[in-house]
Amino acid sequence: MGNKETSWEPKIIAFLCNWCSYAGADLAGVGRMQYPANVRVIRVPCSGRISPFFILSSLQNGADGVLVSGCHPGDCHYLTGNYSARRKFALLKSQLEHIGIEKERVQFTWVSASEGGKFAEVINRVTETVKALGPAKRLVKKCL
Amino acid sequence: MTDVSNKIREEAGKLLEKGEVDVIIGFEKGSIPLSATPCFIRNEADIEKLIWNEYCGNNLSLYLSKARGKIGIIAKGCDTRAIVELIKEKQVQRERIVIIGVPCEGMLDRKRIMIRCQSRNITGIEDQGRQLLITGDSLNVAVEKDEFFYPACQVCANRNPVMCDVFIGNTIEEQKTDEFTDVTDFNEKPSEERWAYITDEIDRCIRCYACRNACPLCYCKECFVDATQPQWVGKTIEQSDTLSFHIMRSIHLAGRCIECGACERACPVMVDIRKLNRKMSADVKNMFGYKTGLDIDQPAPLSVFKPDDSEEFILDI
Amino acid sequence: MDYRIIKKSKITEYLNNLINEYVIFAPIEKDDIVLYDRIKSGDEVILDYSNSVNSPKEAVIPQLETLISCKNNEDITCVKEHLDEQKRFLLFGARPCDARSLLFLDKVFNDEKCRDVYYMNRRNALTIISLGCTRPQETCFCTTTGGSPFSSEGSDLLFVDIGDDYIIQVITEKGAELVEKLDLENTQNDELTKMDIVINKSKARIEPEMELKILKDKLDSSFEGSAWEILTEKCLSCGICTYHCPTCHCFDMIDEETKGKVERIRLWDSCQFPHFTMQTSGFNPRPTYKERYRQRIMHKFSYCFDNYNMAGCVGCGRCVSQCPVNLDIRQVLTAFYGKHEEIRL
Ligand code: SF4
Ligand code: SF4
Ligand code: SF4
Ligand code: SF4
Ligand code: FES
Repeated sequence: MGNKETSWEPKIIAFLCNWCSYAGADLAGVGRMQYPANVRVIRVPCSGRISPFFILSSLQNGADGVLVSGCHPGDCHYLTGNYSARRKFALLKSQLEHIGIEKERVQFTWVSASEGGKFAEVINRVTETVKALGPAKRLVKKCL
Repeated sequence: MTDVSNKIREEAGKLLEKGEVDVIIGFEKGSIPLSATPCFIRNEADIEKLIWNEYCGNNLSLYLSKARGKIGIIAKGCDTRAIVELIKEKQVQRERIVIIGVPCEGMLDRKRIMIRCQSRNITGIEDQGRQLLITGDSLNVAVEKDEFFYPACQVCANRNPVMCDVFIGNTIEEQKTDEFTDVTDFNEKPSEERWAYITDEIDRCIRCYACRNACPLCYCKECFVDATQPQWVGKTIEQSDTLSFHIMRSIHLAGRCIECGACERACPVMVDIRKLNRKMSADVKNMFGYKTGLDIDQPAPLSVFKPDDSEEFILDI
Repeated sequence: MDYRIIKKSKITEYLNNLINEYVIFAPIEKDDIVLYDRIKSGDEVILDYSNSVNSPKEAVIPQLETLISCKNNEDITCVKEHLDEQKRFLLFGARPCDARSLLFLDKVFNDEKCRDVYYMNRRNALTIISLGCTRPQETCFCTTTGGSPFSSEGSDLLFVDIGDDYIIQVITEKGAELVEKLDLENTQNDELTKMDIVINKSKARIEPEMELKILKDKLDSSFEGSAWEILTEKCLSCGICTYHCPTCHCFDMIDEETKGKVERIRLWDSCQFPHFTMQTSGFNPRPTYKERYRQRIMHKFSYCFDNYNMAGCVGCGRCVSQCPVNLDIRQVLTAFYGKHEEIRL
C-alpha cells in the first residue's frame, strides 16, 4: 500500500476551449515543452459551453482535479461566452469550497492560442497542487 | 390576527364579487394542530374559509404558474419577492394577478414545536402573544415563539410586501439582518467541519424532491434531476449523487432563490438545504451586487455580465 | 395466549445480548428526529416516542439495493447475484400499524405467482417486536383501516406498557423462540388486568371513522368527476407521502456504472412523480397531481381490496403529519364517504 501511495499520480480533467486553450496546448506540444501527463483533455467549443455539471460529474467519477481554460476576457470567439461563464464558475467554485471541497481541486484560467508556455506552466501548477492534496475523497462516487 | 383575517376576507370577497379575479389563493385552517393549509377559493360563499395566522408558512406563489384565469393571491414579504422573480422570468403576467400583500412577523415552525411536544396529542393551544401554552396528552409546555420562528424568518429582511395591489394591515419594521452573517460564520469553520456538517445533513435526504416542488422558482417542466437523456445526476441515494443534486439545485437557483425557506419547511427530515442556497444568495450579492426579488427591472445576474467582474478566483500565472 | 413480563430498565441489556446474533432495527433519535435505523447498541433505542418519521419498511425493502452486478475480470464477464444469506433481523419497537404493514407487503411480494426472492430473503430472517400505543397521536387512524393501537397482526411479540414493565404477548412461533432465549418471567393475574385497562383505554380513543367496504364503492363510482381536482389542487407531487408510507412499495430499476462495474439497482419510486408513468412516446397517462393523487387513493382503498382483500393503508398518519401542504388523506376519504361538506366547484 505504501508503495502505491508514493507512486500515486492524480487524474486531472481539463476542459479546454477549442479556439484558444486547446490551440495553446497544441503549441506547447509542438514546442516540446515539458509538462506532466496527468491531464485528460476534453475539447469544448467555448468556455461558455461548460456546464457546472461537467465539473461535478468529473469529481464524482474519479477526477482528482478539474481545470477549465478559455479565451482571455474580450477574446472569446463568440464574443461573450467567457464573460457569462466567469460568473457561473465564480459561484460554483465558491459553493464547492463552502461545502468543504478543497478549493484547489477546481481551477479556472485563461490561456490563448499563442501561450504555449503559459499552458505548460498552468498544467505544472495544477498538477502540483492537486498532488499535494492527495487523492480526491469528497464527492467521489462509491461502488455500492 | 383575526383583524387581518377579516380584512383578507373582505378584500378577497370584493375581488371575486366584482369579477376581477377567478380564484383567490390563500390559506384555510389546517387539519392538524399548529397548521394552516393552502386553499383555492372560487366561490363567494367560501370566503369565510380564509384565515391568516402564524402557520401560513407555505409560499403560495408556487401555484401561480399552475392556476388558470385571473388570480388573487395572498402574499407575505417573501412571497412577493418570489412573484417579482416569476414575473421577470415570464412565468406569470403581472396583469393576470392581484396581489393582496400582508406584512409578516415570522412564521412558526410546526415540526420543531411538535418535537418540543414530543409529538404528543395536542388538545389545547393558548396564544399568549409571545408564548404558546400547549396542553395535551401528558403534555404541558410553554413555547417561546421567538425560538420557533423558521430559520428563514429569523434572517428575513423583507417582511413587508415588496409589491402589491392591496395592502392589508400596517407596515412593520424590518429586521436588520441583511449581512449574511450565518454564511460568513459557517465559512470560517475549517473545511473538514463544513464537509462533515453538510454530509451529515445530506445523508438524511431521501430524495423525495419536496424541497424542489415546494420552491416557487423550481418550476421547470423537466428538472435536470429527472432528465435521463442525458442523465446529469445519478438517481441513487448515495451521498455523491444526493449532494450533486443539491449543489446543482443551488446553482440553478443562484440569483433566483428569494430565501423564503419553503424548501426547508417542506423537507420531511429537516435537511438544512438553506445552507447551500444562502451561500449563493450571499455570493450573488457580494460579487454581482444583486438581491433577488426586489426590482422587477433589474436583469437576472447570470443573464448578464460586466467586463470587469471579479477575477479573484482565476488562476493567474 | 402466552404472556411474559419484562422490566423496562432491562430492555437495553436484553438488546445488547441480542446484538451479535441479530441485525437490530429500532427507533432512535438523530438530529432531533425519530427514525427507524440500525442500532449498534441497546442504549440508542428510545421507547417513549410517538411514531418515527420514516417507516420500518426500509428493513425489508431498502430504498436502494443492488440486485446483480457485473464486472470484467480480464476476459471473463462475472455476474454476481446479490442474494447473500441474511443475518437474522430484529425489528424492535415497531408500532402495531407498522407491523400490520408488513402483512400487506407480504401480499405484494410473497405472491404465489410472483415471489420476490430479495424481499423474501430478508423477510424470512425478520422477527418483529412491536410496541402497543398507549398514546395514539392526533394523526392516527389505524382503527379505520382495520387495525388498532394494540393490534398484534403482523407482530411476533407485542409489548404492552404497564408502567415500570412491559407485558409481552407471545404471538407467533418466532416470538416464542425469542422469548425462550431471553428467559423471561411469567406474568401474574393482576398484571394482566393492568394490561387490559391500558388496552381498552387507548382503543376507546380512536374510533373508526368509516366503513371501508362502503368507502370502496363510493370511490369506485367517483373515479371521474371534478371532486378529485378540487381536493388535490394544493398537492405538490412530491414523494413524501409515498416514501414514508409503510405500505407504498413502488420501485424503479436502473443500471449504474461505477469504475468498470455495472450494477442493477432497485430503488424506491413514487406514483406522485410525473415521470412515474411517463411513456417513451412522451405521453403521460397521469399528467397532473389530480390523476396521481387519485391513483394513490384508489390503489390503497379500492384496488388493494380487489387484489389482496385488505386496505393498502394502515392508518399510521405519516402522510398526514408530513405533507408539506397538509393534504390530509382522511379529509379526502371523508369527502368521498359523504360526511364532508359538499365539494364545491
Ligand atoms: S425535501 Fe428533504 S428529503 Fe426530500 S429531496 Fe429535499 S432535502 Fe431530500
Ligand atoms: S430555494 Fe428554497 S429558499 Fe430559495 S426560493 Fe426556493 S424554496 Fe425559497
Ligand atoms: S399529498 Fe402531500 S406529501 Fe403527497 S405528494 Fe402531495 S404534497 Fe407531497
Ligand atoms: S397512506 Fe398514509 S396513513 Fe396510510 S399507511 Fe400510508 S402513510 Fe400511513
Ligand atoms: S471561444 Fe474560447 S472562451 Fe468562448
